[in-house]
Amino acid sequence: MDALEGVFAVAWPKGGGKLTPYLLLVPAISVVGLLVIGLVYIGDSSLRTLDRTTFLFSENYSLENYRRALSEGFTYTIIWRSLFGAFVVTIITLILAFPYAYMMVRTRSALVRKALLIALFLPFFIGQVVRAYGWLIILGNQGIINDALGLIGIEPLRLLFNYPAVIFGLVQYMLPFAVLMLAPALTAIPEEMEAAAGSLGADWFQTLLHVVLPMAKPGLIGSGIVVLTLTLTDFAMPAILGGGTQDFIANAIYDQFFRTSDQGFGSALTIILVATGSLVVGIALATFGAGTLALGKSENEVR
Amino acid sequence: MQHELPHTVQEHASETFGPVPAVSAKAVNMRFGNFYAVKNASFQLEQGRFLTILGPSGSGKTTLLRMIAGFLTPTSGEIFIKGEAVNAVAANKRAIGMVFQKLALFPHMTAAENVAFPLKMRRFDARTIPDRVLQYLKLVRLDGLENRRIHELSGGQQQRVAIARALVFEPDLLLLDEPLAALDRKLREEMQLEFRRIQKELGVTTINVTHDQREALVVSDRIIVMNNAEIQQNAAPIQMYRSPENPFVATFIGVTNVFSGKLVKRVGDTASVLVGEQELSGQSRLGSSNITRFESGAAVKCALRAEQIRIAREGKPLDKTDFSFTGRIADVIFEGERQIYVVDVPGVSADPIRIFHHDQDEFATHHIGELVHVGWNTNDMHVYAGIS
Repeated sequence: MDALEGVFAVAWPKGGGKLTPYLLLVPAISVVGLLVIGLVYIGDSSLRTLDRTTFLFSENYSLENYRRALSEGFTYTIIWRSLFGAFVVTIITLILAFPYAYMMVRTRSALVRKALLIALFLPFFIGQVVRAYGWLIILGNQGIINDALGLIGIEPLRLLFNYPAVIFGLVQYMLPFAVLMLAPALTAIPEEMEAAAGSLGADWFQTLLHVVLPMAKPGLIGSGIVVLTLTLTDFAMPAILGGGTQDFIANAIYDQFFRTSDQGFGSALTIILVATGSLVVGIALATFGAGTLALGKSENEVR
Repeated sequence: MQHELPHTVQEHASETFGPVPAVSAKAVNMRFGNFYAVKNASFQLEQGRFLTILGPSGSGKTTLLRMIAGFLTPTSGEIFIKGEAVNAVAANKRAIGMVFQKLALFPHMTAAENVAFPLKMRRFDARTIPDRVLQYLKLVRLDGLENRRIHELSGGQQQRVAIARALVFEPDLLLLDEPLAALDRKLREEMQLEFRRIQKELGVTTINVTHDQREALVVSDRIIVMNNAEIQQNAAPIQMYRSPENPFVATFIGVTNVFSGKLVKRVGDTASVLVGEQELSGQSRLGSSNITRFESGAAVKCALRAEQIRIAREGKPLDKTDFSFTGRIADVIFEGERQIYVVDVPGVSADPIRIFHHDQDEFATHHIGELVHVGWNTNDMHVYAGIS
């Protein structure tokens, strides 16, 4: 560490002065910048149509891919399925994550807190694909649940390859993200606030409604936006638990790029996905205000 | 308004059984494992009084307040508010207003919304709420600032919102959990007087917790001093200051010199003691019940307040004092309105004696190293049992 500091002192004798914070931004901006370059290329190819006879892309630009995408019912089905799924998953996830995070933050027992944290992180180590595969084992026609149902004489139920299965898998996948984003927001609410609400006459539900939820708003919106965008663009859960019948936008894009090899049409779908996602997040931010994300100085700081 | 309901019950009770104390604690213990946070605390507080629970940190004063508020349940013993056991009532149904240490104002509401909160929760008639909120904001002198968010108010203004919010629903009891501790001295002293004014204006029974002895003397009708989980003394401020019951109270309030000595004899209220090489006499606070324990030779502690000691230049002996000794000025501390002389008096005390100067003509005339006469009267010194 000392050696590192020594090198730093030689390379940066005055600590860089006022420019330092901006210089430290450069790596992050470069990474994001690369993404933008990729997006520009995708934008470019979205304007070129595939000639089905030669399998070459047209030289000149046209909006043909977009026209095709927006005239096919299939596109709307997929966008609607993705958007609706994202909203449902976000709402269910937040409802489940809130008490989990609250309990984790407020419990007096270090043991309970650790248990909750481990239960939260364990699925992280497994990864999305393996986890989805695990659900196949549990929910499949010859899976654990149907075996158990069989023992009491119930015919196997079709628990997989439908919309609820995808939603279920996504909620399960998103829960840790939501909890981890909510926990700091709830930690920032002093416990005294709840005692105060009680002493002023509020019961636990009124305290939740009038004090805890409004004060947790930045955390709720932040984790809501993260869950919403991650769900909207998810690939693995619809692919594995939907079994090809419940494709989200990302699955459709994958098909265009790697199955049909229509890079132009896939690019157009990508741009539509990016536009949809941006629109949704934009509406969310415009509704609640960027300030609610607790950027800048917090309103919760009294005195 | 359901709010009115408890009152009728209480009025009924007071008619039947005579005046019920606003608050009473009976042999309250709070134990965590083998550690007593509060030990055998009993007291009664009359309606409309301002009580301060005073003590150093860790003395159990906050625990006692939290039990009165109902946030903690005593291990044994019981606390009654207007004759009703605190824990028999759900937290949000109690008629207790509380100003919290960190105020706990709701940052997402305006000053007026904060004050209206308890009225909405307690289902006051919605039409009367705005007027009532304004009336209480006026009481705390915040009219005109009702639409400010909490973070747009100064520290003192936030204190006032917290007071208005705790009082607006007309609680039977107001609890103050050291809300002034974080303020700077000038603002703190201003707010102490505000607390007193508002309390007198509304006549609400109030219990304040603090470690600030000056605050306790300024605001209260009654003071309870706590130390090591136990109530040391429960008295009116003047009585507490003039007749502390034990050396702890004597030294915790005011600036007090303590000498260790041995009892020579006790005659009535006067005790003769041997301090160093000197035989002194003082007011006996040895108690009357167990005289036999205090035979000649028993260890005693003598407490003498810094302002009771007179000081004069060498060669101008003090004439109106029962005792007089020669000492040497070790230090002079200037505190603005007063000056403290730290004087070595070898025959009496191993530690230097602290003396407040209160002779205006002689002000600032003694210097370090100077020889002086110091003296006091029998009545000024209190003699306590040696083991406190």
